Amino acid sequence: MRLLFPAATALGAVAIGVAHYLAFVHVPMESTMGAVQRIFYFHVPSAWLFYLGALLCFGASLGYLINRKARWDAFAHASAETGLVFGLIVVVTGPLWARPVWGVWWNWEPRLTTMSLVLLMFAAYWVVRAFGGPGQGVRRFAAVLAVFAGPSIYFVRVAVNRWGGVHPPAETASRSDDVIKLTMYTCFFLLLFVFGLLLRIRYRAHRDALTVRAVRRRLARLGGI
Amino acid sequence: MTEARPPAPRPPRTRAPGYTRTVLIVLAKDARTELRSKQTLATMLLFGLVLTFVYAFGFVSDPATNKKVMPGAMWGALLFAGTLGVGRTFAREAEDGAFGALVLSPAERSAILLAKIAVNVALSALVMVVVVPLLAVMLRVDLTDCAGLIALQLLLGAIGFAAVGTPLAVMAVSARFAEVLLPIVVFPMVTPVLIAGVKGASVALGTAIETDPWPWLQFTAAYGLVFGAGGLFLFERMVTE
Repeated sequence: MRLLFPAATALGAVAIGVAHYLAFVHVPMESTMGAVQRIFYFHVPSAWLFYLGALLCFGASLGYLINRKARWDAFAHASAETGLVFGLIVVVTGPLWARPVWGVWWNWEPRLTTMSLVLLMFAAYWVVRAFGGPGQGVRRFAAVLAVFAGPSIYFVRVAVNRWGGVHPPAETASRSDDVIKLTMYTCFFLLLFVFGLLLRIRYRAHRDALTVRAVRRRLARLGGI
Repeated sequence: MTEARPPAPRPPRTRAPGYTRTVLIVLAKDARTELRSKQTLATMLLFGLVLTFVYAFGFVSDPATNKKVMPGAMWGALLFAGTLGVGRTFAREAEDGAFGALVLSPAERSAILLAKIAVNVALSALVMVVVVPLLAVMLRVDLTDCAGLIALQLLLGAIGFAAVGTPLAVMAVSARFAEVLLPIVVFPMVTPVLIAGVKGASVALGTAIETDPWPWLQFTAAYGLVFGAGGLFLFERMVTE
């Protein structure tokens, strides 16, 4: 049982290797975009995982506001952090792909704009957690932030779609053939495993921090007597 | 001859004032203190004025370009000056240690929030009443034809901004660097209001491809409604003890 987590971590490393093999060796060259298209196998699953992290953070934060269990907050914190890592992968790989294909590093394409704004929201969440202090008030502040981010993501989507009405939505999934799709989903599940590992590591770290704080408080109280 | 006893003190009122009354009481209290000290309003106004100069120096150009820049300048001013006001929402209570008392009072907490949102909307509106005409003069944009529409857009935008910013400002009080964190946190969330406002204003000024300003107005109203209602509903859960 004690070896379970190290074994899982090793498996995660293998998963990353397999994902690279699939993306760079296994899958055939896409005809119109060429080699740059291979970045999709990381870019697209990472985007899904970023939104998964945001969703988990939203749910856990709402739960924390209702039941006030510090564990829920620790989970929300961990999922925001994990999601943010994958969000960073998205914003790094995106321009790398866009430059050769679109000819520009950045384009006000609705999906891109929405993603970057949501990323900013969760970056703000992370800043609050990292620099706001450890108190209960900050935990509540962060939870409210995550809960507010939920509907505001919807509004961002609607506004950005209307705003960037001239750009056609990126149609990447519709014209890709089966092997590309299959590889994409496989990479998603491989990266999902890594996501789960990272989430668990961060969750445990935050829970341990809570325990340490509780023990410190108790010791201080004992010392006071 | 017995001395007349002073009348027995009336038993303290145990029932909280009604919802609307609570809103009005908090609103009146804030209006009174603000009118006496003029702290927040004066700083917001001055900041708004400084911003108009920043925008004027930064963007002033030929009339056609100015017309295109105007919406962004107005909405930028609303957001920046608004942040200043929102950040001061509970500053006076915090300074006097009255925040706890306010929260502990039997008054409905969401009523307090509603009053604070109203205060912030009023402050933003007052600032915009000064800043927008000034921007129009400096950028030489004629707003007379669409003044009503733009005022309505800004008012709805100020409501949306305050509906998001006020509860977050309350929550931020317990964090370190609250005054720095607040804009970082609020701006990404209010981008929908900014987009809708800037687009709506350019429709009103006739510089956009679209001609119908109502969808953007409805959008901003919906935003304010969702966050206003959501914030009021959640506020009880946000501030306990």
